[in-house]
Amino acid sequence: MRRFGRWLAEHSIAVGSPLVLLGAWEWASATGLLREAFFPRPSTIAVHLRQLGADGTLWGHLGATLVRIGWAFALAAVLGVGIGLAMGLWRGLREGLDPVFAVIYPIPSILFLPLVGFLVPPGEIAVVVTTAVTSFFLIAFTTTHGVRQIDRVVVEAATHYGARGWRLFTAVLLPGSLPSIFTGLRLGLGFALIVVVAVEIVSTSRGLGALLWLSWQILKVEDMYATFFVIALVGAVLYHGLAALQARLLPWVQDVADR
Amino acid sequence: MPTPVPKVLVNEVSVTFESHRRSVLALDRISLQAHAGEFLCVVGPSGSGKSTLLRVLAGLLRQSAGEVRIEADHPGSPLTAMVFQEHALLPWRTVRDNVTFGLENRGVGRAEREARAREMLAMVGLTRFAAHYPHQLSGGMKQRVGIARALASDPEVLLMDEPLAALDAQTRTIMQEELLRIWAALGKTVVYVTHSLEEALLLGDRIVLLSARPGRVSRIYPVDLGRPRGLEVRASPAYGALLETIWARLREEVVRAMAEDRGPDPDRASA
Repeated sequence: MRRFGRWLAEHSIAVGSPLVLLGAWEWASATGLLREAFFPRPSTIAVHLRQLGADGTLWGHLGATLVRIGWAFALAAVLGVGIGLAMGLWRGLREGLDPVFAVIYPIPSILFLPLVGFLVPPGEIAVVVTTAVTSFFLIAFTTTHGVRQIDRVVVEAATHYGARGWRLFTAVLLPGSLPSIFTGLRLGLGFALIVVVAVEIVSTSRGLGALLWLSWQILKVEDMYATFFVIALVGAVLYHGLAALQARLLPWVQDVADR
Repeated sequence: MPTPVPKVLVNEVSVTFESHRRSVLALDRISLQAHAGEFLCVVGPSGSGKSTLLRVLAGLLRQSAGEVRIEADHPGSPLTAMVFQEHALLPWRTVRDNVTFGLENRGVGRAEREARAREMLAMVGLTRFAAHYPHQLSGGMKQRVGIARALASDPEVLLMDEPLAALDAQTRTIMQEELLRIWAALGKTVVYVTHSLEEALLLGDRIVLLSARPGRVSRIYPVDLGRPRGLEVRASPAYGALLETIWARLREEVVRAMAEDRGPDPDRASA
């Protein structure tokens, strides 16, 4: 409890600012400064959120979204790290793929949905693959960069002390690029959430995106905000979860974004 | 005094760096020897190829001409182990695992590695920091780890590339004394590159003075200041006289180096 007290004291601004914002919103909606039809009070939204949870609606949609993110992220991570490492190690591959990636990467991910639908069976698989596209590029980019930014003196020293071939890769090049890889994974996971919600809005009837859009269309504004809140929470949990994992797995990295 | 046994033989070694535009001669027919157990210092103006010479000895760079021989007395030991200027530790390995890295690569068993790490960390005074990561250490401590790593692999010849150059003056002085103590305890052959004449006089048995680019052996000076040697040697008249003599010559070379074109420094170009 005392530890929590100290933590609270240290993070008083980070904890306080959302509370102040919610308080201001509550007050503005209650006094009519904001129109309650569009900006219901946070307390009302909380009640609706509890209802969505109690009747099971929320869990079905949340589960669908999480499963999609899980598959998409796994796909993007495996391919992104693999191809990123290969691009970092082999110049020819890097020079061949860089221009292709540079052209594809800025395209808004949602536009891949119809295209992906031609290549793989439409439905869940198409949703997952579309969600993975942007994450894949981000992870591949940061991984390539991770290999490239390793201090050459360190690599030279490792070689001098007898690390060659596979050993050089596992003991030096891979750990040396891990901080960058983790940055890519964090960004990639964030983008997977953004894209999956967008894809769910346009193409599915299940998932948080679908729930949000449906609530909006039938003007259940409180449910829309409740879903909003859940999506934000999922994003925060995923991001900080991965940051905590990094702090655990890479204790030698000085500045982990989990502060 | 016993007859010196040659340990490192450098014979007419030249190094040329080829870039796409031009080729730069960094070392020009360098010949020198280091005797077994000798502390040999290499001094010269920047651009004289001091580091290049060390990298050739370390096998990190191939000479363009000439021959390098290192007499191996202990089969199974690496010929050289280098202490790098920027310590070059692996940030993801603890102090202990950095020290044992070379042994691990050679397939030395765990128990022996641990014993060796304990011994070397005790030698450099870092026993309590075995489980720390490099980023938790000060500059001087990191360089101690670098020295322990080199010693742990028990090389025939210890190579040191301006290992104290990045440290503050007080830390450097303390590390110089530590180096003398460790060298006296282990009796290793050392080839030590430095830009500091004072450091070379304090540490070395002989000083090889290299000329400005291209690096040639300008002169070799024996340092007859006795052993064991400590910081108090700086107060002796012999020290002052030798410093004057070598500095007069080094000064010429430095001035010449400054007058030369300010093209790429081969020490840097190769790093």
